[in-house]
Amino acid sequence: MNILTLLIFTPVLFGLIILLLPSSIRASFKYIALLATLLQLGFSIWMYLNFKTGAAYAGINHEEQFQFVQKLPWISLDLGGAGKMQIEYFVGIDGISVTLLVMTSLVLVIAAIASWEITSNLKGFFALFLLLDMAVVGVFCALDFFLFYTFYELMLLPLYFLIGMWGGARREYAAIKFFLYTLFGSVFMLLVMVGLYLSVKDPVTGNHTFNMVQMMNPKNYIDGSVFSILSHQTILGMPARTVGFVVLFIAFAIKVPVVPLHTWLPDAHVEAPTPVSIILAGILLKIGGYGIIRICSGIFPDVAYSGAYWLGLLGVISILYGAFNALAQRDLKRMIAYSSVSHMGFVLLGIASQTAEGISGAVLQMVSHGFLSTMLFFLVGVIYNRVHDRDIYNFRGLGTLMPKYTVYVMVAFFASLGLPGFSAFVAEAFSLAGAFKSHNVNGLLPYWMAVCGSVGILLSAAYFLWTLQRMFFGTVSLKGGDIWKIALTDINWRETLALLPLALIALVLGVMPSLVLGKINDSVLALVQFTQTVFHR
Amino acid sequence: MSKALPYQDIQTIYFAIAAVVLPFAAFVINFLFLGKSKLSGWVSTLAILVSSVLAAIIFTRVWNVQQIHVKQIWFRIGDSYLYTGILLNNLSVLMLGLVSVIALPVHIYSTAYMKDDAGYSRYFQYLSFFCFSMLALVVMDNLILLYAFWELVGFSSYLLIGFWFDRANAVQANKKAFIINRIGDIGLLTAIIILFNQYQTFDIERLFKEGGLIASSTIKNGLWISADIQTPVIWQYIACIGIFLGVAAKSAQFPLHTWLPDAMEGPTSVSALIHAATMVAAGVFLLGRVYPLFNPAELTTLAVIGCFTAFMAATIALTQNDLKRILAYSTISQLGYMVMAMGIGAYATSLFHLVTHAFFKCLLFLSAGIVIHQIKHIKEDNNLDIDPQDIANMGGLRKKLPLTFIATLIGGLALIGLPLTSGYLSKEGILITTYEWAQGKGDMMLLVPLFAFFTSCLTAFYVARMLLKVFFGDLNLQFLNPEIKIHIGDGGWRYKAPLVFLALCSLFPFFSFNPFLHEETWLLYGFSAYNSKSVFDIMHIAIPVLVNGASLLIIYYAYMIYMKRSTIVLPQSGLLYRLSFNEWYIDRFYNRVVVKFVLVLSDMAFWFDRKVIDGFVNLLEKIGVFTAGIASWFDRYIVDGILHLSAVIVQAIGGFARRFQNGKVQYYLFSMLLAVIVVFILKILIWN
Repeated sequence: MNILTLLIFTPVLFGLIILLLPSSIRASFKYIALLATLLQLGFSIWMYLNFKTGAAYAGINHEEQFQFVQKLPWISLDLGGAGKMQIEYFVGIDGISVTLLVMTSLVLVIAAIASWEITSNLKGFFALFLLLDMAVVGVFCALDFFLFYTFYELMLLPLYFLIGMWGGARREYAAIKFFLYTLFGSVFMLLVMVGLYLSVKDPVTGNHTFNMVQMMNPKNYIDGSVFSILSHQTILGMPARTVGFVVLFIAFAIKVPVVPLHTWLPDAHVEAPTPVSIILAGILLKIGGYGIIRICSGIFPDVAYSGAYWLGLLGVISILYGAFNALAQRDLKRMIAYSSVSHMGFVLLGIASQTAEGISGAVLQMVSHGFLSTMLFFLVGVIYNRVHDRDIYNFRGLGTLMPKYTVYVMVAFFASLGLPGFSAFVAEAFSLAGAFKSHNVNGLLPYWMAVCGSVGILLSAAYFLWTLQRMFFGTVSLKGGDIWKIALTDINWRETLALLPLALIALVLGVMPSLVLGKINDSVLALVQFTQTVFHR
Repeated sequence: MSKALPYQDIQTIYFAIAAVVLPFAAFVINFLFLGKSKLSGWVSTLAILVSSVLAAIIFTRVWNVQQIHVKQIWFRIGDSYLYTGILLNNLSVLMLGLVSVIALPVHIYSTAYMKDDAGYSRYFQYLSFFCFSMLALVVMDNLILLYAFWELVGFSSYLLIGFWFDRANAVQANKKAFIINRIGDIGLLTAIIILFNQYQTFDIERLFKEGGLIASSTIKNGLWISADIQTPVIWQYIACIGIFLGVAAKSAQFPLHTWLPDAMEGPTSVSALIHAATMVAAGVFLLGRVYPLFNPAELTTLAVIGCFTAFMAATIALTQNDLKRILAYSTISQLGYMVMAMGIGAYATSLFHLVTHAFFKCLLFLSAGIVIHQIKHIKEDNNLDIDPQDIANMGGLRKKLPLTFIATLIGGLALIGLPLTSGYLSKEGILITTYEWAQGKGDMMLLVPLFAFFTSCLTAFYVARMLLKVFFGDLNLQFLNPEIKIHIGDGGWRYKAPLVFLALCSLFPFFSFNPFLHEETWLLYGFSAYNSKSVFDIMHIAIPVLVNGASLLIIYYAYMIYMKRSTIVLPQSGLLYRLSFNEWYIDRFYNRVVVKFVLVLSDMAFWFDRKVIDGFVNLLEKIGVFTAGIASWFDRYIVDGILHLSAVIVQAIGGFARRFQNGKVQYYLFSMLLAVIVVFILKILIWN
């Protein structure tokens, strides 16, 4: 059986089991969900270890270079004169997706551990959780646009209910906002997808195809079709390919999120229960970045190239704007949510540079932020579970009260603010180095963008250290008085079990970034080569 | 380590690695196994002892003998490789030796100084971690790793400043220290990225060696030209500014110096090691590493800023009453001298001053630690409400703490730069070179040696003031509270031995057998390649005589003020006094303008987020709801209305037609007749 298929559908299987089991044994559901994610983690580690590197396994626009491929006809309709409708179950991975998949499976394990705090309607929660699990893993594996879109939309449904049913006080507002934002993005994506389908022909079968890898080859476009590079079609007076790129970019930018499309994120995070926050920040945002790399720059590299300046600009704006906003927050979770906006800005800046350093830095930043934001949201969850409050001003001196917890908070904060030795440092440094180098290599980004981006590193120190000083140091003083003092016990073994691996991974990736970079280098080089040569005439 | 190195060199490298890693091992052992144990202090001390022995061996093998550089691939990103490696040359082995040799007495001292603290083991974890980062910083061979450890020393300094994390001041201070250092860090990072862009390498040796990449690139027609890249020359300036920011933050130069006085919130032993002797010197060390990058104009700027910092800090030290704050400002002032010396091309002399300063300033801080500790004892024994660091409470301690007094005296004289001390040798070197440098640079540049000279006079005054107020006269505390009991003393060998060791190292024989001529110092020969050449002339005698004469006069003046109280006491209300006492209002300016500005900006960003972006989203939502309302109204009243209307009409017609079906034959006949007539009439009307 194909490893990716196993990876994708294992959770659904367990989800079905949970649905079939009687609610009287609902206490065991959390173990079943944990088992499912652990199994998935095992698969993904096996896959990581067996992932071959080298220029012959670069992937990107060469279908034969993808690994663990499975390709089955899925929907195959004979449309008579219009040929055959060809939709495939086509999964496979290259360097860009492999590390993100491992990160995703680990984050899901942590999310499963965090789910133990859920007390109501366990059957529904874990069934939706595992459905979501399937969808997010599927997104990273799918190479057929239709399949990708299916998984992509399938994420929305469980997320909507998970936020809307198990969330905080304003959960319905947040859920609706999240749903509309992302739906807005994906509806237009559907149109572009259909446009691409109609423009591209599979050279072997002669049918229209949703195969994303074939969409990356200009030869497969039908002459005169809407997205063909030669036909110069226009939509509403704008070049069709630009419109296609922008629409897809908006869809993914909402996920990343890129300023100004980010305001769903703080609300969704604040209202979502901890495991959902973890999945949102740890995985969902990465789907945005992954989509921009794989789909936006993969299928429309010419537009990505000519529009790099604007991408970079948005990246810099996100870095600075997110950081300033984080500085203004007094809700701990909201502060971390804005810090995500800022850190994901580095991803966009790195991608926009289209240099090997920048894109590698961006992917590494996604992996690193996956772990770190998981850790951060888990940590917020710890304190929220105990006293149902997370206003920074309501706490002081937690370091005395919860020493072990404070150690983990410090690790997470310092790792996030880019202390060398942790993963974010290498990622951010090389995103910036790539952005700076871009001027000489391909002339896409001006020098000042990297310099402005580095100010984000300074601001991140400001808001994290302020929070540390305000909440964790000083003499103990809590809004809830002695009741809180009793409630605020130090972390237990379950929480340690979730936090320790994350802290260690952040450290290990900081000391040995080659664990990620070694797997992605060839793909990144191929991507850089590809974006700069193919589609340019 | 693939290159075929001689066996001894390989051994040297292993020694270097061991010297760096041992403190880290101590940190790990303490962190994992010795959570509360008093053993942790000795584990750390042992580690640093072995490190310093190894450093000494390495020093003898490398100093003026050879340079050893080994590297290994760390990781690959895209198609560029990053290496990790060790570069041992005169500069790095000097620093390696200095840091470990200074750290050793501080460790021994700390085992006694911190023995009653609840966080004893935590303290040694942090201290070992600092030593590891600092030792690694000086031997790293590439800029990325240098930056990494550069930040890690800042991080360990953060931990140690905030060691007593339940004290509000301490955690304010460590936050400030880290953020200001971050400003320097992003400067340094930017500079590193610019250099990487220009030369595609991070390797320090390749970049900065004689005839290396930096040396072979030129600036022409507004372009900065290296082998294959041309960049507008502005980026060369920005790289230098970035490096300077890094230096200014770590080495507390104007305008980023404000964190250092606050950093005194940490334990005094930490102030001695980190915020006086080693970490703050890292900025000067960095200047030494990247020296060839700076062109003459940039070096002149450096000299001016260094000179200004030295002067400004000295003026502030004049009026401070906190013992540690005085020392902190004197550190800033001396660091200013070092940076100035770098700027005027006195490379070797600057490093020489770094070394001598490390010893005597560490000595001063450790002595101050003993004084403060003893005053604290008095305070606790007698339940007094006093600040144990305030020199106004002290006085007459020379009889109670004789060894501490002698140690402070030696340290103080070295700080002033009086003969027979090490400070004399290095400081005169700087002053003489400054004078020579200013020759022929125009009148404006003469201000630099002038201010350097003036600063030296100020130093003499504040040191004399401190010594007199602490050790001479009578104990003020007893004067104010006659009933208190006093049992104080120098303390055990763990206090005394470090003081004796450091005091000996602050005297001239350690550096030169000639106590009066700095030119004969062995240390200077190690860097003669970079140092500006000077000819021995009459000024080499005149300047020391002049400076020391002035110093002695000023010390006498201070003696008259503070002991005899006979001379006119300077007014404590003038503008100059307030300027000095309030530290030139720089900190206040930062808090009220810069910090405020950032906070206002962040509030504005959040306002924009909520009101404009979310406002727009909510507006869209409202429009959506409104449109839906209209659609719903339309649906209900128009679409449904038409439907209902047609239903009503059908019903009406049906009701009307139903009346015909009443079962009466006459009625049916009548209807039929009516129909026939209607058809007939219609036929006539229409067809005709």
